[in-house]
Amino acid sequence: MKRREFLIMALLLLGGIIAIFMSDIKPLKHIIGPKQLLHEVNKKGRYISTDEVAKMIMEKDPTLLLIDVRSPEEYKKYTLDGAINIPAEKIMDDSNKDYFDSDVYTVVLFSNGSSLADQSWLRLRSYDYKGNKVMKGGLNEWYRTILNPQKPAGDAMSGKMEKQFLFRKGAQVYFTGATPVAGGAKKAKPAPTGKPIVKRKKKEVTGGCG
Amino acid sequence: MGPLYPQELLNPEYNLLIGALIGIGFGFLLEASGFTNTRKLAGIFYGYDATVIKVFFTAALTGLIGLFILHNMGWIDITLTFYPKTFWIPTLIGGIIMALGFVIGGFCPGTSLSAAVTGKVDAMAFIGGVLLGIFGFIFTYDGLWQSLRTSGKMGKVNIAQWIGIKEGLFIFLFTIIAIVTFVVFQKWQDSWKRKMDDSDIDDLGL
Repeated sequence: MKRREFLIMALLLLGGIIAIFMSDIKPLKHIIGPKQLLHEVNKKGRYISTDEVAKMIMEKDPTLLLIDVRSPEEYKKYTLDGAINIPAEKIMDDSNKDYFDSDVYTVVLFSNGSSLADQSWLRLRSYDYKGNKVMKGGLNEWYRTILNPQKPAGDAMSGKMEKQFLFRKGAQVYFTGATPVAGGAKKAKPAPTGKPIVKRKKKEVTGGCG
Repeated sequence: MGPLYPQELLNPEYNLLIGALIGIGFGFLLEASGFTNTRKLAGIFYGYDATVIKVFFTAALTGLIGLFILHNMGWIDITLTFYPKTFWIPTLIGGIIMALGFVIGGFCPGTSLSAAVTGKVDAMAFIGGVLLGIFGFIFTYDGLWQSLRTSGKMGKVNIAQWIGIKEGLFIFLFTIIAIVTFVVFQKWQDSWKRKMDDSDIDDLGL
C-alpha cells in the first residue's frame, strides 16, 4: 500500500474517532433562517395563557421557570411568585443560556404586555432555543384575569365561562391572600338558592346519558 | 451560518455560479485522476483496479465526517440541506440498474460527461443511452413506474437513528468498514496484477 493511501486512511480513522467524541457533546446552536423564523412567528404555539400559568404556580409545578424580562426596577416593584429577572437586553448573555437550553423546564417569559417578552422569545428562537413560551398579555392580562377577575357580562354564562370565572376567583384568593371580596361574597350568597338548579342540571345530564 | 443558499444568504445567480465552478473543478479532477477511462472505472468489478471504491468511500467519508463536525460546531445546519426521503425498493432496483450500466458501459453519469468532453465517442454514446433512459422513464412513468416509485416508503431516515446507535459511533464503524474494504480490495488488486502479463496491463491503458 502506498504511503499516501496509508495517510488518507489514518486521517479518516482520526475523523471517525473525533466523531465518536463529538457525539456526546451538545451541538452548538444554529441561527434560524428568516423564512423559518417568520413561519414560527406566525404560529401561536408560543403563547401560554395567564390561567395556565396561574394553575402551574398553584400546583407548584417544579418544571415551571418564570422569567421576568422587564428592568430590575420594575421587577423589584412587582413580579410573579418564583420569577427570576433577566432583562430583555441581557437575554443572550452566556451566563443566562443555561436557563433556555434545558429540556426539563417550561420556560415562560413575561413582561408588562406581550411585546417585550415576544421580542425576547424571537431572539432566543433565532438562535434555535426551542420550547420557550410567552405569557399572553403579560402582567396586564395577569392583573385583569387573575388578580382582578370580572364576572363576564350578561346572565347567560356558558359552563366553560363559569368554570373559568370560578377558577380565576380561586386564583385571586390564592395570589392576593384576600377572602372573597364583599361584592363577590354577596353574589355568592344566593348560591344556596342556586344549588337546586345545579343539581337538577346534573340529573338531566345523567338521564340523558342513561 | 451555513448552508448559505437555503437561508437566503446567497443570490440565486451566485449560487449557480459557484455550482458551475465546483462542477468544472469536479470534472477536471475526474479527468486528472483517470476517471474518464472506462477500463479504470470498470476495473473494480473485475478486481484489477480498486481506485473507484477508494475514491468513492474517501469522498463519502470526508463529506460525512466534515458535515458532522461542522454541524456540531454550529457552522452548518444539516437539517436545512437537501435530505431526500427513502423508498428502499426503487432505490435497490435503481442501484442494481446503475451498477449494470456501470459495468457494461464503463461510466457513471458524471464521468461519462467528463469523458465526452475529452472527445471519447463511447462516452457520447453512453450519454445518449442515459438520455434515452431518462425520457423513457418520464413518458412511461404514470403507467409503469408510479407504484414502484412510491413503494417501500421509509420517510426521512438517518441510518444511525434507524439502527439505534449514536451518529458518531456509526461514523466510526463506517470508517472501519471503509478501511477494511480498502485493504481487501488492494490485496485483490495486487494478486490480480501478479497473474497478469505486463503487456496485458499496458493494454488496459491505466
